[in-house]
Amino acid sequence: MTRFFGGKLAQYALVLFVTISLNFILPRAMPGSPIGFLVGEEVGSLTPAERQRVLRSVGLDRPLHEQYLSYLGGLAHGDLGYSYQRQRPIAEVLADRLPWTLLLTGIALALSTLLGIVFGALAGWRRGRRSDLAALAVFIFLESLPGFWLAMILVAVFAVQFGIFPTFGARELYSGLEGAAYWFDIARHLALPVTTLTLITVSATFLTMRASMLSVLGEEYVTVARGKGLRERQVLFGHAVRNALLPVATVFLLNLGQTVAGATVIETVFSYPGVGRLMYEAVLARDYPTLQGGFLVITLSIVAGNLLADLAYPLLDPRVTRRG
Amino acid sequence: MADGAARHRAYGLGFGAVGTCGLLLLGAIVVTALLAPWVAPYDPQLTTGRPFSAPSLAHWLGTNDIGQDILSELIWGARVSLAIGALAAIVGTSLGTVIGVVGGYFGGRLDALLMRSADVVLVIPFLPLMILLAAYVGPSVASLAVVIGILVWARPARVIRSFVLSQRSRDYVTAARALGARDGRILRFCIFPSVISLVLAEFVQLTSRAILLEAALAFLGLGDPIQKSWGSVLFYAQSRGALLSQAWVWWVLPPGLLITGTVVGFALVGFGLERIFTPRLRPR
Repeated sequence: MTRFFGGKLAQYALVLFVTISLNFILPRAMPGSPIGFLVGEEVGSLTPAERQRVLRSVGLDRPLHEQYLSYLGGLAHGDLGYSYQRQRPIAEVLADRLPWTLLLTGIALALSTLLGIVFGALAGWRRGRRSDLAALAVFIFLESLPGFWLAMILVAVFAVQFGIFPTFGARELYSGLEGAAYWFDIARHLALPVTTLTLITVSATFLTMRASMLSVLGEEYVTVARGKGLRERQVLFGHAVRNALLPVATVFLLNLGQTVAGATVIETVFSYPGVGRLMYEAVLARDYPTLQGGFLVITLSIVAGNLLADLAYPLLDPRVTRRG
Repeated sequence: MADGAARHRAYGLGFGAVGTCGLLLLGAIVVTALLAPWVAPYDPQLTTGRPFSAPSLAHWLGTNDIGQDILSELIWGARVSLAIGALAAIVGTSLGTVIGVVGGYFGGRLDALLMRSADVVLVIPFLPLMILLAAYVGPSVASLAVVIGILVWARPARVIRSFVLSQRSRDYVTAARALGARDGRILRFCIFPSVISLVLAEFVQLTSRAILLEAALAFLGLGDPIQKSWGSVLFYAQSRGALLSQAWVWWVLPPGLLITGTVVGFALVGFGLERIFTPRLRPR
């Protein structure tokens, strides 16, 4: 067990090392002066004095290994760099965006997990019947949809044509709404992005749950439960579903880490002020420091999610601990 | 089993009805893309109508913001989307195959090193990394394909490695070795032929994944500005306000349906291949 975790920890440390090094190397390995990549599009508007100050603050005049160490030192203090475009530290920019992304992706994750489990269990239970094949077809179709396109269609139909939902943003700005009205406004803005994200992520849980049901239904304890004369419903919920949930739990925990990554393309369509949309804005403005900061924070959260999954698994499945 | 009849109908014989459907779907799209110069009504780079015009006999899917024919854009865009998908899949599958075969066959430290790096690649968040790389490398068809390709090798490498690992100790490989065959010969005549079907299946999966990824990148404005793909058409539709009018019906709907159709087609072909290569999945 400890060896297993040692290996995993080493792997995650390696992931972070690669990510950080990539962030360090990319601006320096590109043709031309790295200052363009360190500052972004704004480089043209810098005065010579400012240029000098930037160069000195990053330490481009020093040898590479010293630059790398000071870069690491900065990261250790939570210094993700400075966005010259926004004139703010990147850590602050990210902190502003994070709650919105977590709200959006958190709700979508809960919904898609719930729907995936219910439909996956039913489809597995009715394996090979017409309803199972229909469900499979629907979920494979959902998996094939480009997320941003689904978002665009929903905007065009439900926001523009019917005007039921707002077309963009996370809340009405300068509306002065308070209390329940404020939260209702936020929920209205969330409806379409959450729907999109739920629909395009649900099939992973569905397929996992369905496959897991198929293997569980072949187990002896299910046969025994049936042999005891239990009703089909009791077998389904009491024995099969409970045990089939295990792989789904892993998928859920891994997805948990993905929540920070947000859904770049979906947030972009809805102009939702989350981390994903921030990445898009950074691409448009060629704001490389922000791109890098976002990338690093997203990697960090995914590693945390994976670690959580590794830690939780033995608690969920006692067999793992016993074997180790 | 009660479901015998339904399953027989769904899976058919040989490649399977499902696989054949996928093949027909993909075939139609690929043939249209190949015949683009003859079937596209206009040159998609030229202004051939009034900007923002609705579908008419002259322009079946209307025109975009600078008066280019949308149908022609989609037919030519099919080439770009498919080419990037295929190219990225070739890069990814080749890398994955070589790494998987080498790791699985030789084992030891080299294998451990290769698989460790595969694990790292699998954990790093995909789209953010690709956005970062694409932003640095700059958008062109070739660079997009290569960037996608070098980021997706890990999964096929793992799958292929575990298969090669199971083949390595098979009797016929042991026999070949006993007869004095060198590693190179064993790899070429024993391992590669047995792994080919798996490689093909992985290739199909990667292609559809790469097409979706390219669409997402192009939609974020990271596509090749000269060679418009389906994703780029959607990027322009979004940024020129197609959603705010009726235009979405002919400007936004068709490219998305094409992307979805292609990806579904690849998925169905994947099912067909799986049926051929893993006979135990066939109905008894």
